[in-house]
Amino acid sequence: MPRKSPSPAASLSQFRAGLRDITPLSLGVAVYGLAFGLLAAQIGMDGLTTGLMGLFVFAGSSQIVAAERMAADAGLAVAILAGLALNLRILLMTASLHAELAGRPWWQILLGVHLTSDENWALMHATRASGRKAGYWYLLGGGTSLVVVWVLATGAGAGFAGLLPDLTSLGVDFAFTAAFILLARNLWRGMGDLAPWAVSATTAAVLALVLPVDPSWALIAGGLAGVVLAARPRGD
Amino acid sequence: MTDHWLLIAGLAAGTFAIRFGGFLLGSTVPASGPWARALKALPGCLICALLAVILVQGGPAEWFAAAISLGVALATRSLPLTMLAGIASVWLARGLV
Repeated sequence: MPRKSPSPAASLSQFRAGLRDITPLSLGVAVYGLAFGLLAAQIGMDGLTTGLMGLFVFAGSSQIVAAERMAADAGLAVAILAGLALNLRILLMTASLHAELAGRPWWQILLGVHLTSDENWALMHATRASGRKAGYWYLLGGGTSLVVVWVLATGAGAGFAGLLPDLTSLGVDFAFTAAFILLARNLWRGMGDLAPWAVSATTAAVLALVLPVDPSWALIAGGLAGVVLAARPRGD
Repeated sequence: MTDHWLLIAGLAAGTFAIRFGGFLLGSTVPASGPWARALKALPGCLICALLAVILVQGGPAEWFAAAISLGVALATRSLPLTMLAGIASVWLARGLV
């Protein structure tokens, strides 16, 4: 592997390459962000608040889950817990970046981990696999584009939705459910997911029907049941 | 209002702790094996559990709309189109029921 952080010029050129290469993914994030803005408006968040949420949290699917739990009156603690549970996987991504980040100034480490998301992390690996250099500054270039687009799009979506009349009567409350269906479709990795997902859904549904507590606990228990099944030792 | 900011603060602090924690743990986080499989499976399992909880609390109109949304999600992989199809079909189904 070449030494990281060579000259400032090389760093800048990697940053620019990351910024440029991420563009198709950023366009997708823009559309996704507008849609999330609509969901944020469902829990009464204005454009500025929603945009700042995107800047500080910068993890789309966890923001959707947390907003939905707030809309379902599940309570603040449960909404945060459910959102964070969805983000635990990021641990694997930033752990794999350890060598890339270690030895850098603190501000670069803090900025690097905050700007790590599915899109620029995957793009960095894809670019490396194609034989081009892609390191810290490449990741940061992609992350910069993504965070700017995410903040602007989610803020604009919430601001626009806030101008519309009460949307619940039009079925907009179902937008969350539809968003989760799309998320599930994008998370599907193959038939290996079938059994854990079925166990999760069945456990959650049964517990939600029989337990006299907030159904959010059924959702967390159901998620864990599927995860335990997915983690089981395999004969490979 | 305050609730929104508490939500943002909790999610932001927790998510940053996860991101920074991954860096600190580095190679002690196994890239394969049961723990890695568990972390990778977590998002999909949670979303399915969440959908199940939402759908058992709904009725035929929501089930119908969920089926339509699933079809659109499979065909297009587009978030806005899936949301649009879901909203339109639940609105239609509620009007009919």
